[in-house]
Amino acid sequence: MNMKTIGIVSANYVSGNFGELTNKRTLASIPFGGRYRLIDFALSNMTNSGIKTVGVIAPYNSGSLIDHIGVGKPWSLDRKTGGLFVMPGSIFGVTLTGNRFLMRDIAANKSFLEMDDADYVVVTGSSDVCNIDYTPIIEAHAESGNPITIVTKKVDNAEDYRGFFVTKDGNGKVTEMVTHAERTADYFMDCFVIDRKFMIEFINWFGALDYMDVMDIVSQNLKTISVGSYEFKGYFGKISNLNDYFKVNMQLLDPKVMNEVFGSDRTIWTKVQDEAPAGFKPGSNVRNSLVAAGCEIEGTVENSIIFRSTKVAKGAVVKNSIILQHGDIKKSVKIDKAILDKYVTVNEGVQITGGEAPIVIGKSKSI
Amino acid sequence: MKSKKCVAMLLAGGQGSRLGLLTKSIAKPAVSFGGKYRIIDFGLSNCVNSGIDTVGILVQYKPLVLSKYVSTGAAWDLDVAEGGVYILPPYASQTGGEWYQGTADAIYHNVDFIDMYSPENVLILSGDHIYKMDYNKMLTHHEETNSDLTVSVIEVPMEEASRFGIMTCDGEDNIVKFTEKPAEPDSNLASMGIYIFSWPVLKKALLEDHDDADSEHDFGKNIIPKLLAEDKKLTAYRFKGYWKDVGTVDSYYESQMDLMNDEVYVGAFSTHERVFSNNNTYPPLTIGPEGHAEESLICNGCQVNGVVKNSILGSGVVVEAGTVIEDSIILPDSHIGSDCKITRAIINEGVTVEDDEVIGEEDGEIIVYGEAHLSI
Repeated sequence: MNMKTIGIVSANYVSGNFGELTNKRTLASIPFGGRYRLIDFALSNMTNSGIKTVGVIAPYNSGSLIDHIGVGKPWSLDRKTGGLFVMPGSIFGVTLTGNRFLMRDIAANKSFLEMDDADYVVVTGSSDVCNIDYTPIIEAHAESGNPITIVTKKVDNAEDYRGFFVTKDGNGKVTEMVTHAERTADYFMDCFVIDRKFMIEFINWFGALDYMDVMDIVSQNLKTISVGSYEFKGYFGKISNLNDYFKVNMQLLDPKVMNEVFGSDRTIWTKVQDEAPAGFKPGSNVRNSLVAAGCEIEGTVENSIIFRSTKVAKGAVVKNSIILQHGDIKKSVKIDKAILDKYVTVNEGVQITGGEAPIVIGKSKSI
Repeated sequence: MKSKKCVAMLLAGGQGSRLGLLTKSIAKPAVSFGGKYRIIDFGLSNCVNSGIDTVGILVQYKPLVLSKYVSTGAAWDLDVAEGGVYILPPYASQTGGEWYQGTADAIYHNVDFIDMYSPENVLILSGDHIYKMDYNKMLTHHEETNSDLTVSVIEVPMEEASRFGIMTCDGEDNIVKFTEKPAEPDSNLASMGIYIFSWPVLKKALLEDHDDADSEHDFGKNIIPKLLAEDKKLTAYRFKGYWKDVGTVDSYYESQMDLMNDEVYVGAFSTHERVFSNNNTYPPLTIGPEGHAEESLICNGCQVNGVVKNSILGSGVVVEAGTVIEDSIILPDSHIGSDCKITRAIINEGVTVEDDEVIGEEDGEIIVYGEAHLSI
């Protein structure tokens, strides 16, 4: 690709209700899929699309995020030229808001845009699950002549989604962006391509509206700003609340989803922990589940996601649940419809049963 | 640059011909082990966990996969500013070039490399042993005893001693005699092929050995007897723990099956002093609705829809429905079709086994199936 593109990953937001999972971490650093964190998808998609300069807008509560992304080595972003830039976000990230691209955060990091000579910028959120190649989107964007191209996904149950829905004309040009739709609609995937120089101008024009989301501003100025669209047809796992989180994790048990998200040549990279192979002990009985390295399973596991280095002792039964890393499930425990945060110990004989919504057990608890 | 206390030289050039198909296209140290590792991971991880940050890897036979795997050494935290990991193949000079003639000859040709770090000691390692060891303790022993050469030894059952290089020691563990595979051993201290030499002593011995037309330029056959004859101080360092040479298909199979034993598993893979590997990009494994796994080690990236018992599945192995795998080792990225029966077999790396195949049999010899198709 001749066109030079840089990336911005916005990680300064928490949306919806995630219970104790977001007590001390941003949405971007919630563990996902046995060994990943949500931001891995955005960073891997950047790297796999040939983007070698990426700015991450960090939340105020950035500990877990910085611990995870470090200098960007897993994504080959520890570069002399370009590479990973961790950029400060404003103190705001733990409110319940739909904002992904707060104008204040973008404007505060204008120098990131000014010091590069790239033609385009891919801007994305950091909390959705998809394996997407930005290359054809950037190409379509360049060809269109529009200063902004937003990426959309056709969804069937629009009423379950929060965010923007898009109306397009016959050429894919966006004519309207609204926050409510029903049944089938084109949903804005929190991802867009923008001309770098236009983005600087945009900041100059609208910088005073720093309390607004960039997309709010765009949606209100569609008459003056020409916005194109690109429909993504692959798997898109939207995560905006705890139920989504549970559902999208469980969707990995569908081999089609698993292969599309993780089976492509575009590897999803993550911080490596060098865990040993998972051990299935005598008597272990695991069905329809995802198990990460380092686990030792002696009990029964069904329809569940078991993160790395979790122990499930003899006689324990884990069903329809997500156990984050280093879980310690002792003998004769019964768990159904629960999400256990990292380092949770469930003592012998204890039963945990969630209702329609999964029950969340906070980090490092012993129950 | 500061001089190094100890530089490690890892011998990785041998063909490992007794491993047959497993080493047809790759060097023995690059052969898959324990599902997600390659044999060399143990030596490299031991180095870095012992604080040794400068490692030369001597390659000769089929080094490409090994070179690619070792890469910058970053996977073992060996990408450091002053030191690091170096692949050292034979090279030409103004007077011509030649292959490494033996283990000692390989080191001889890299004397200049070692001199670049002006180390006090040089640690010589084999790239085909499975064990976890703190070389630092051995180094301390070497220094405290003021030895010219310290050889790491392990006690083996007397009846097996004739299979090993045996060190005979005095009461203070000074080595007085070395016998390669003695018919009638007088000691059960087997050499593990791990040596710490004081560098000036080794350098002098290597230069002299090079000029000796009768020498086979081998550490066991020539260098150790030479130092003994010169009355140098040779000391045995007793290692206690798990150690296995994986030179044959049977020992390669057995030592991996040993990992199923809780004690060995925990020892080999404790989170403290981890064994690192450069093979960590797979998603977690999945066990399908009809899949079952018991008494097995299964790596990330596997998709298990059949039944797996007392077996090891390497990274990215797919097992289709109706298949039963028992007492077997499936190397990474292999695809096992449906309704197969695999018993006491090693399926090579990246091999596709068609549906309905029957490979191996209960109580049969361990067989190696297929030629490796390496994707790394």
